[in-house]
Amino acid sequence: MSLTGYKRGDGRWGFRNQVLILPLHQILSAAARDIENQSTGAVAVSHDWSQMVEKDQERIIHLLAGNATNPNLYATILLRLGTPIEDEVIARAKSYGKTKLIQISLSDLKSLEKLTQSGVDEANKLLIQAKTEQRVAAPISAIVLGLECGGSDAYSGITANPALGVASDKLVEQGATSILGETMEILGAEHLLARRAITKEVGAQIIDVVARYEASINYEGIDIRGAQPSRGNIEGGLSTLEEKSLGAAKKAGNAQFTGVLEYAIAPKKAGLYFMDTPGHDIEQLTGFGAAGVNITVFTTGRGTPTGSAVMPTIKVATNTEMATAIPDIIDLNSGTIADGTQTLEENGEELYNLILDVANGHLTRAELGGHHEFNLSRLYGSSL
Amino acid sequence: MRKVLVLNPADNIAICLEDMDAGAVIDQDNLKLTITQKIPRGHKVASKAVKKGEGIIKYGERMGHATKDITVGEHVHTHNVLGDRLSTEVSK
Repeated sequence: MSLTGYKRGDGRWGFRNQVLILPLHQILSAAARDIENQSTGAVAVSHDWSQMVEKDQERIIHLLAGNATNPNLYATILLRLGTPIEDEVIARAKSYGKTKLIQISLSDLKSLEKLTQSGVDEANKLLIQAKTEQRVAAPISAIVLGLECGGSDAYSGITANPALGVASDKLVEQGATSILGETMEILGAEHLLARRAITKEVGAQIIDVVARYEASINYEGIDIRGAQPSRGNIEGGLSTLEEKSLGAAKKAGNAQFTGVLEYAIAPKKAGLYFMDTPGHDIEQLTGFGAAGVNITVFTTGRGTPTGSAVMPTIKVATNTEMATAIPDIIDLNSGTIADGTQTLEENGEELYNLILDVANGHLTRAELGGHHEFNLSRLYGSSL
Repeated sequence: MRKVLVLNPADNIAICLEDMDAGAVIDQDNLKLTITQKIPRGHKVASKAVKKGEGIIKYGERMGHATKDITVGEHVHTHNVLGDRLSTEVSK
């Protein structure tokens, strides 16, 4: 199957050509949604950041600037109050990519109504311009795949996760990039994943990232190893913490780890990576978006509708019961592996083909349903 | 239809894809065994004999070790398996 995409001025590839409405202060979130609703196809996100000076400021600026310049975007409309900190976000965004950035400021227009109208006009103009961009033949290395799971069940580790691993391995082998996140989920299996690192140093980084996470949790007085696997996990058939974590990490198949990334930081070359991300599904997706991930696969046992404004998100069911009960959020059923009607390899191959289809423009259930959540991940509470 | 799932050829366990009763016969993908006790769907069955202290291998990786000898067809779970990391911590 051939792959097509949008080649961006900075050398990255996009598989969508979206116009994003991004408020740079929480009080402009409603205006962003209004612009989305009145436009002919722009997507808006909202968040709760109020530009307070926080220890997390660098992290937040990076997340906003990184998402504003995700390669799946043709343009981003930034809604501003007109403050200096917004200049920092915009300067950073310009240094990250070539995405067209349009600024609309409340302090210039002095009216929310005018801001919204101006946003709608700009969005509609950009959407027409975006149509003039053409897809061109893309190499497999254009794919930067995000690997995620949420609402996991007893089948995640034996159906959807290893099937995703088959697809990820096949893509990485052909030069694509693939990123596994969720530090909490590999706890207990980090020594096993470290053995798959390309160098000793990368292996040591995998161990370090988990140790750092565990130290932060222990500081809060939580013994996470002792509490795992949970009673529900044990009822489902999981016997040890290693087994549970290996099942989560199976999304990354058997490929070697090329490197370890800090949260939301873009990889510099192709290969399989581990990224230190929160376990929170949407914070992980927002981090992937900022890191330039252009397509995400999300495995789910209970049926999570979560999607992203900047990345198509393919939803894979771990069991047939759920896939049948909530078909409008599921793109592929891997429950067939547990039903005994499909092998891991067959289902993984189907997922691989679906990833290419979606990259080529096939819309995911999350896109059709308008699911595009966004959450800024914080390490600290607001300080003021 | 397959009754069990073998995740990696190096594994000494397979995943039961249906509730199993003692006496159930598995014959698929070069794997032949008889289930020796009741095993719920999604749980592990020993596909090879495992001696006490030896590793339990799933996905080709060591997920823990046997706390007693395990025979082919036996249920492999918390009653006869312990994680390596946790047991190290406990013995400290």
